[in-house]
Amino acid sequence: MDEVPYGALDLMVLKTLDGMGPLHGYGIARRIEQIAEGSLALNQGTIYPALLRLEQKGWIKSDWGMSENNRRARFYAITRAGKKQLSIESDLWSRTLAMMSRLLEES
Amino acid sequence: MRAVVQRIAALFRRRHLDDQLDEEVRGHLDLLAAEYERRGLTPEQARHLARRDFGGVEPMKEVYRDRRGLPIVETFAQDVRYTVRALAQHRWFSAVAVLSLTLGIAGTTTVFSVMDAAMLRPIAGRNVGGLVVLEPRRNQERFILFNPEFEALRGRTQTLSGMFAVAEQPFLKVEFPGEPPSYIAASLVSGTYFDVLGVTPSAGRLLTASDDRLAGPDAPCAAVISDALWRRRFARDRRALGSVVRLRDRDCAIVGVVKAAFTGHQAGSVPELWLPLRNVSERRVLESQTQAFYAGVMGRLNPGVTREQAEAELTTLYREIQALEPPLPPTLRQPPKPSELSMGVLPGAAGMGGLRRQFGDALAMMLAAVALVLLIAAINVANLQLARGAARAPELATRLALGASRWRLIRQLATEGAVIALAGGLTGVGLAIILTPRLASVVFGARAASLDLSVDVRVLLAASAATMLTALLVGVIPAVRLSALHSSRRLPLGDRSRESPGSQRLMRTLIVAQCALSLLLVTASGLLLQTSLRLSGIELGFDSGHVVLLEIADETPGGSPSFSARETPDTRARRAAAYRLVDERLNAIPGVQSSSLSWYGLFSMNDLWTTLVDPRRTSDRREARMNFVSSLYFDTVGMRLVRGRTITEADQFEAPRVAVINESLARQRFGDRDPIGAQLTPDFPGDEDRPVTIVGVLEDARYNSLRETTTGPMVWLPLQQAVYRITSVELRVQSGAEAAVSQQAAAVLRSVNPYLMVRRSTTLADQVQGTAARERLLFTVSTAFGGFALLLAAIGLHGTLAYKVARRTREIGVRLALGAQRSSVVGMFFTDALALAATSAAIGVPIALAAGWSLRAFLFGVAPRDPLTVAAACGVLTITVLMASCVPAFRASRVDPVTALRSE
Repeated sequence: MDEVPYGALDLMVLKTLDGMGPLHGYGIARRIEQIAEGSLALNQGTIYPALLRLEQKGWIKSDWGMSENNRRARFYAITRAGKKQLSIESDLWSRTLAMMSRLLEES
Repeated sequence: MRAVVQRIAALFRRRHLDDQLDEEVRGHLDLLAAEYERRGLTPEQARHLARRDFGGVEPMKEVYRDRRGLPIVETFAQDVRYTVRALAQHRWFSAVAVLSLTLGIAGTTTVFSVMDAAMLRPIAGRNVGGLVVLEPRRNQERFILFNPEFEALRGRTQTLSGMFAVAEQPFLKVEFPGEPPSYIAASLVSGTYFDVLGVTPSAGRLLTASDDRLAGPDAPCAAVISDALWRRRFARDRRALGSVVRLRDRDCAIVGVVKAAFTGHQAGSVPELWLPLRNVSERRVLESQTQAFYAGVMGRLNPGVTREQAEAELTTLYREIQALEPPLPPTLRQPPKPSELSMGVLPGAAGMGGLRRQFGDALAMMLAAVALVLLIAAINVANLQLARGAARAPELATRLALGASRWRLIRQLATEGAVIALAGGLTGVGLAIILTPRLASVVFGARAASLDLSVDVRVLLAASAATMLTALLVGVIPAVRLSALHSSRRLPLGDRSRESPGSQRLMRTLIVAQCALSLLLVTASGLLLQTSLRLSGIELGFDSGHVVLLEIADETPGGSPSFSARETPDTRARRAAAYRLVDERLNAIPGVQSSSLSWYGLFSMNDLWTTLVDPRRTSDRREARMNFVSSLYFDTVGMRLVRGRTITEADQFEAPRVAVINESLARQRFGDRDPIGAQLTPDFPGDEDRPVTIVGVLEDARYNSLRETTTGPMVWLPLQQAVYRITSVELRVQSGAEAAVSQQAAAVLRSVNPYLMVRRSTTLADQVQGTAARERLLFTVSTAFGGFALLLAAIGLHGTLAYKVARRTREIGVRLALGAQRSSVVGMFFTDALALAATSAAIGVPIALAAGWSLRAFLFGVAPRDPLTVAAACGVLTITVLMASCVPAFRASRVDPVTALRSE
């Protein structure tokens, strides 16, 4: 299993929250694991510093709510700024990916 | 930006945020575990796997916290908390460290504050950077500038845009309307004064060039007063403008008030009245080549001109002027040759700098001494830290092993240094604020009152620089040592016997540095001690005990204030009668044994040398000091008669003119012949240029300076036969009656003539001592700090040795077990100490010799490189070193071999 590429985790978190609505940390981690289908070595704990970073940048916001096992949990949701950032980053990723694949195919 | 704000906010809510993160993580783990349990695992297995999936909780939290807050600030706060706890545990170490740094920083800050107030602070003018002080020099020594020279220079200079001269009148008698006469500090200044300085009025106008014209006594005259005087005497009423202040023979109208911020053209004198110099001076005096000269001349550089250029131009002009002016009359003993003269141009931002001239060197010496003490104190603390750091090696190694980063440990040690330095800095500045006015009044006496001693930015900068330097020394040296510990990759847990030789060497070097620097201070204090002893042991030739001195000004109107002017016999007779009456009444005051009046007092810094012509051989014209005294003068000051008689009541105006001379004059003029009955003629203008007959010879004495190496020739004439205005009254009193008598004497003077005003009252002993105040002050400072430096060196050495004993307990135990004598163990330590003293002396002696040389201007009766003093200082150092080694050496000899060997 591979490390998460730099910056990818942020994008994954934003995309997850954009698609699934407010989630707690566990939910986000599970969702990312599902999507990666085992191709990603993710210590679930590492998403918390990432969440803090995104919140400090104002791309996500958090609020305390009740989790499915009736415990207090912090739920994260994407903000308007976060959505804008998500579209910028996805564009960047798609363009990078396209470029990279062209580059790799040619050589 | 937003992140920064959140981070700073996070600093203050750390506990709360930590709790939230904990809760979040716990919830996450619970959910994960629940998931595993649903898949059929036991709760333990589920919990285990959840933790595995989550990864390390604590490292994550560490990353999280770093991201959340400002880690530098947080770990710093943590370091500080830890440091304070550690320091509280080692009270003795902390007390010594903080106290020594406090004294060092307080000393440097205090001396710097005084220097700052006295000579560094800029005066309140406009663009003070362009101001310069002109210093006339003859053979590189300070010389005087006469008015015609000043005016010629002002007319010709191209490098200066303006120039002004000042004549100080610290006690000018003035009368404000409807008030009795009083003294006021005044400055007689050129009309360009305010313009050159760039000072503005707070009311009315200031003096201009047109106010400053030669004029007769009846011409109008303008005066400017200080804001303080305006407040005090006129309650800031604008009607003060136009009111008249009466000088001796002039009425001057107040035309303006200077703005409050401007307190004068130099620190230490605060004039309250400014008068146009030429306007209130006599033409004859201004035009003479010998009479009007200036305390100070300042100017403003033209834009783009450097001080060097101005210096070159003004020196050339100054020399040219000499060629144009008529030669000086022979009263000046040796007229200067033009080539001997030069004009120094000094920075003038801090004003005329009278205090700098007088005390600058002494203060610079003191600053050097206290800075040295600070350096020694810092080295001492660094050394103690080092010893402590070595003793703490196991603790530090443990912390390294438990995962603390090396930088974190270095930071920790540096923080300890910083905390100690900061504590020393804060208490030091506090102490300095208390000490500054005291030091100022010791150095400057009464003039300290006019200094602004408030702490300003420069002082605080100096104090923080001192603190920072200390922190660097105290913190960085042990930290560097620690990194050495790390790089050796040893875990010295319990391994006390093997210490890296590097740290040993470092500690030893620091002790040697401390001792060498202490040697410097001890030598300096030894030299100054001998100076003080020599000065106070000087045979004065008079008896200074229980003599009250009154400094007098006879402000009686009429007559001439100047020495050389002729006065009418009538004026003379009136004055003689008044003085006779004063003399009688002063001698009648209860508690007064004898009293006298004199033209000038002993050690008053007044002096008159005059040429004495031998009437039989008029080519023999040699100079002597001259004074005019009343009949009981010699009894009052206690000078001893060698031959003949002293001046008596009988030597009145009409009686034959007589004189009393000292042994030096007798020897110089008469050799082996008996001078009694011989005649001499004082050669000065006036009606006293008739021969006087010598009636007595007095034993030589010191008259004006303790440093005078040979007593000059001196002659005394009866005051009643040459009635000049007196400036001094002497009263020999019964012990303890000084204060009462000085008050009664002032009352007596007033009752006879209200114009006989007392400027100052002191005792003869104080007057004499005052002339050696600078030397005594330097001695006190260097002794106090030298002793302190030695004490610090002893503490440092003791600490290092004690540590060494602790570290070598096992080795000593082995030696003893193998049959070594206890005395040889003690000997080992003492040999070590002596070697250390020898090294320190080898390094310190050359430095001490150099320091002695730089002190030479302050020394008296002792050579700057006096070998005995240096040897004595080395002796003191050796004794100190041995004493500091005593306790540790003794402890080493008491080591019990069995316990020592078992402890490992």
